[in-house]
Amino acid sequence: MKSLVTIRDGGAAHWAIRIAAALLVVAALFLVPTKGGNGLITSSTEALTLMCAAMALNLLLGYTGQISIGHSAFFGIGAYTTGICVSRWGWSPWITFPLAFVAAFVVGVIVSFPASRIKGVYLALVTLALALVFPNVLRWPKLAWLTGGGPGLPNKDSQVQTTGFDIGRKPGQMRHFEIFGWDPFGDLRSLDAKTAFYYWIAAFIAVVVYLVCRGVVKSRAGRAMVAVRDNETAAAVMGVNVVATKAFVFGISAGLCALPGSVTAIRIGSVSPDIASLTIIGSLTFLIVMVIGGAGSLWGPIVGACLYVFISDKTGTWANDDAIPALLRPFFAWSKTPPGGGIFAVLLIALMFVAPRGIVGAWKQYSSRLVRVVPRPVGMTAPEALVRESGADTTDTTGATGATNINNT
Amino acid sequence: MIRRRATIAAIVAVGALTVAACGSDDNSASDTTTAATTADTTAATTADTTAATTAETTAATDAPAPEGWAVNTDDCVDPDAANAPIEGTLKIGSAMPLTGGVAAAAFAPVKGGFESYIKYANEQGLVPGVTLELTIEDDQYNAELTPGAIAKQIDGGSQVFSGIIGSPNNAAVRATLNDECIPQLNALTGSPAWGEVADYPWTTGILIPYTVESKIYAAQIAELFPEGATVSLFYVNNEFGQVYADAFKEIAGDYNLTIVGEQTIEATDSNPPASQVTTIASEKADVVMAVPLGAGCISFLSEMASAKAQNADWTPATFITNTCASSLILGAAGPAADGLYTSGNLKDIGDPAVQAVPVVKEYIDYMTAEGFGEIVTTAVAGWHTGEITVAIIKQAAESPEGLTRASIINAARNFTYTPSLARDGVGAKSIGEEDPFLFEALTVLQYNATSATFTDVGKLIADFES
Amino acid sequence: MDLFLQRVVDGLAQGSVYALIALGLVIIYRGTGHLNFAQGEMALFATYCVYQLGEWGLSIYISVWIGMAIGFAVGAATERLLVRPVAKKSPFAVFIVTIGLFQFLNWLDGAIWGDQLLPNSGVGSEQSQFPSLFPDKDTDFITIFGANIRIQWIGVFALVLLVTGLLFLLFNKTRFGLAMRAVASSPDSSQLVGIRTNRVLMMSWGLAAAIGALGGIVFAGLNNSVSLGLMFTVFIYGSAAATLGGFDSPGGAVLAGLTIGVIENLVAGYAQEWVGQSLKLGVAFLVILIVLMVKPSGLFGTQKVERV
Repeated sequence: MKSLVTIRDGGAAHWAIRIAAALLVVAALFLVPTKGGNGLITSSTEALTLMCAAMALNLLLGYTGQISIGHSAFFGIGAYTTGICVSRWGWSPWITFPLAFVAAFVVGVIVSFPASRIKGVYLALVTLALALVFPNVLRWPKLAWLTGGGPGLPNKDSQVQTTGFDIGRKPGQMRHFEIFGWDPFGDLRSLDAKTAFYYWIAAFIAVVVYLVCRGVVKSRAGRAMVAVRDNETAAAVMGVNVVATKAFVFGISAGLCALPGSVTAIRIGSVSPDIASLTIIGSLTFLIVMVIGGAGSLWGPIVGACLYVFISDKTGTWANDDAIPALLRPFFAWSKTPPGGGIFAVLLIALMFVAPRGIVGAWKQYSSRLVRVVPRPVGMTAPEALVRESGADTTDTTGATGATNINNT
Repeated sequence: MIRRRATIAAIVAVGALTVAACGSDDNSASDTTTAATTADTTAATTADTTAATTAETTAATDAPAPEGWAVNTDDCVDPDAANAPIEGTLKIGSAMPLTGGVAAAAFAPVKGGFESYIKYANEQGLVPGVTLELTIEDDQYNAELTPGAIAKQIDGGSQVFSGIIGSPNNAAVRATLNDECIPQLNALTGSPAWGEVADYPWTTGILIPYTVESKIYAAQIAELFPEGATVSLFYVNNEFGQVYADAFKEIAGDYNLTIVGEQTIEATDSNPPASQVTTIASEKADVVMAVPLGAGCISFLSEMASAKAQNADWTPATFITNTCASSLILGAAGPAADGLYTSGNLKDIGDPAVQAVPVVKEYIDYMTAEGFGEIVTTAVAGWHTGEITVAIIKQAAESPEGLTRASIINAARNFTYTPSLARDGVGAKSIGEEDPFLFEALTVLQYNATSATFTDVGKLIADFES
Repeated sequence: MDLFLQRVVDGLAQGSVYALIALGLVIIYRGTGHLNFAQGEMALFATYCVYQLGEWGLSIYISVWIGMAIGFAVGAATERLLVRPVAKKSPFAVFIVTIGLFQFLNWLDGAIWGDQLLPNSGVGSEQSQFPSLFPDKDTDFITIFGANIRIQWIGVFALVLLVTGLLFLLFNKTRFGLAMRAVASSPDSSQLVGIRTNRVLMMSWGLAAAIGALGGIVFAGLNNSVSLGLMFTVFIYGSAAATLGGFDSPGGAVLAGLTIGVIENLVAGYAQEWVGQSLKLGVAFLVILIVLMVKPSGLFGTQKVERV
């Protein structure tokens, strides 16, 4: 493929582009809470939590080729770890982040052992069942002493009447968030301070999740993951410990997915099995966000989540025909429900035809016609270059070739 | 965060809103007129007395101590805003599931009724000098989306919220609204959590608490079976069902009721509860107390009908929560719903005798003129919520403090009113911390499937008014 | 004893619906090796169509055929227009397409018919309940050994046996069935000997969706109503049945569907304290997991050699 401009990987031009892009993102991250209203900030917080879950799923599905429709359960483990520790035992919400990660990591590793024997769509089936069973386990009367059963937490036995920060005026309650004497938000009981506070928690977690994903993908483990995805047998032959790799990825992916769960528990101050993200609806949403954004690319879930929240916000009121912009009215007025679900479904199917690697994958493919990044000579960053190449040029469109084996029979 | 269909569970409060209750025969025009007049005079008297008392106390002490419960605005983030007079326009906010699953379709009429009443109130000038402006955001019955919906409205200048639907949804914004000192009136959920005056002074509910309803059934069962009775419980395994069942179990002993078995169903399980009803039938209890939800009401009732046909020696009395008692659901259940006991506190608009009552006729005419003729029976709850909201605002506007956020919540907590669409004898009443719930009286009703109407069983039970 | 028998009968009735969904999954899997996640939603679409036909005054005995025809058309069109073009790319793409279709159909049903329970007098439904194929009055039952068996259940059970029998005849006694088996065992060679593989695959998807549609219609009849969430759990039980029976064995799927229905009912009935209603779905989950771990080909499936 010919390109208009060719730049060298790691060269000055490449760094300039990278820095410009990074600045743009940082600027957006800061502009939202400083310039936006509470509505926009809250929507952005939703997008940030959603992208964390999608990034976590991406490690497992996009990079390792293991299909999971069960990530809502890991999200739920995070939400409930925070919920239980904070409301039952009065712990600080901050401590619950690492705890949620560890709890979900352990469950993820346990799930990985049967999962490493089960492949492709079968794995999808097992994880689908996991997603459906999980809320029922939370409601299980035998566990109600811990989970609070159907009503969830907090309940009348709770030490603290919230699952997040106990913000309030009474003695012992939190009113300010200070970092070494610096109080960036002011009185947290005010809506403006509170939305910004939750936004920055979500943003902090999103950055952490992104950095961990990036670290994993660019590491030796990341190369093993891609090898497992592209051809499990070949990977094993080349010395990749397939079982260990899968266990590791399942654990990390589950652990990272628990973090946005904790953020949600903190943000809405209660947990119950009815929260949509903890149910199969959550799993499907994570999957849709990730695939639309771009499976197997670091920026895919980020783009996907922003797009998802944006479209949902815009079309949410379209069940009422007057709310639809006049230009689009003929297309959507007939529908009794808002068109969001339909739009994402059509987008999802259409992308499988034209750009199976999602929006980011398509962007890489087409932008490479304009600007082509030439990898550095082999030796320094060869694997990275391979990743880039496969993202930009290959017509191999699989996100999960592991599934091929079933089909070959 | 997730913007897709809410689950079937979303129907929780629906039935409770669309409580169908038939008007009794002695329901004459003069009665209702009296009721309406009483309401006016009550409001006026309250205002007068308050004014007088305030004047006296002011004279006696420095700090004005208004009669009854009063909110403490010192705790507010911005006490001045909470006490600032509201002039010209009062923006009312709300969040309801307008889209998303079963809930949306069921709640759409509530929105229509609510909006119509606000329009009606403006036209009639019910709150002099103030124009009411209602916005209703969509939260899809997903508590993750409620904070965003509320934040948007506060950005837009909403000074009071009313009629937010769903327990988790109200809970998700309760802390924020209480800290900001923005009244969160008439939460449309029957969870007993809306009576925590000390911790959440700015939050009030409008529905009868589920706990009170289930206790009223226990009382009625005791009346039907003075010798004591055996009861099989059937409930949906979520917050709604568990709160109900726990309250019933707690009080059963007091009425000499023995619970012989408990069956549950998952809100997401679309299988008919055949196996549960098989077990219930094998328990041969005198009474079946059922707390199903939405579609579950219908499948439960038809399973019960088959089970009764198959066990000729078993003729239990079936009590079912009034969330199932809407014309939509019982109509769909058909003959299977015949003879069941439920309860209500609003008038049965579907009954021709009730339709002739002037206030009801005015309501129906207004709704028809607004283009809501089809939903008059289901929009009652919305109209009712609107009426209570406006009455509270009116009382606040007439108070000596004038219309402020603080005076609105003070009015809501010292409130006596007779809603036009409530059954005779049902009045809204709240007295500070003493009685945080507006409505706590219900009449037990029996459903007649042939005429699709309800018959009163016994009197209005108000024993549980706190 | 009669309570035990009653539970078994209840279970068989529920299992019959699982069996119909499992049959659809198996037919598609045999032909193409794909697991159709939209199977339940395809059935739901056809079920809504049957509701609509009922509103227009059509008898259920006619509309059930039309419903199955619609199911067939949706299934065949899905294979031809959506699955076949992406199947060349990867199985993952097929998986995503079926998920997308799942979401799309569920949204479409809501967009057309609204998201409430139907029939519903509130939106002006003419019918009082979803039409049942079999007599379903409360008094329509017979008593055997103390267990009450509803005529409706006997009807559904007989229907499952009939469909299974017909499928057996189709697979084993017709040229088309022979072609289907040939395509299932070796697509390339069957193409070489002149079988129109594409057409066979399209027909398989159509057939599977038609059987699924029948399952949906029957299930809505048992429930007296249709709503958007109708098929979610049924699909899980159906796939558990297909896994247990072996993904390429129609007879196994039916037997497994019935077995899971019975086990689920017995467990929920007799282990109320520990399992009860909230965890009986966990039973289906365990079945899937154990079978896949211990005997991935299911009880009646053929052992497959995995090629690399």
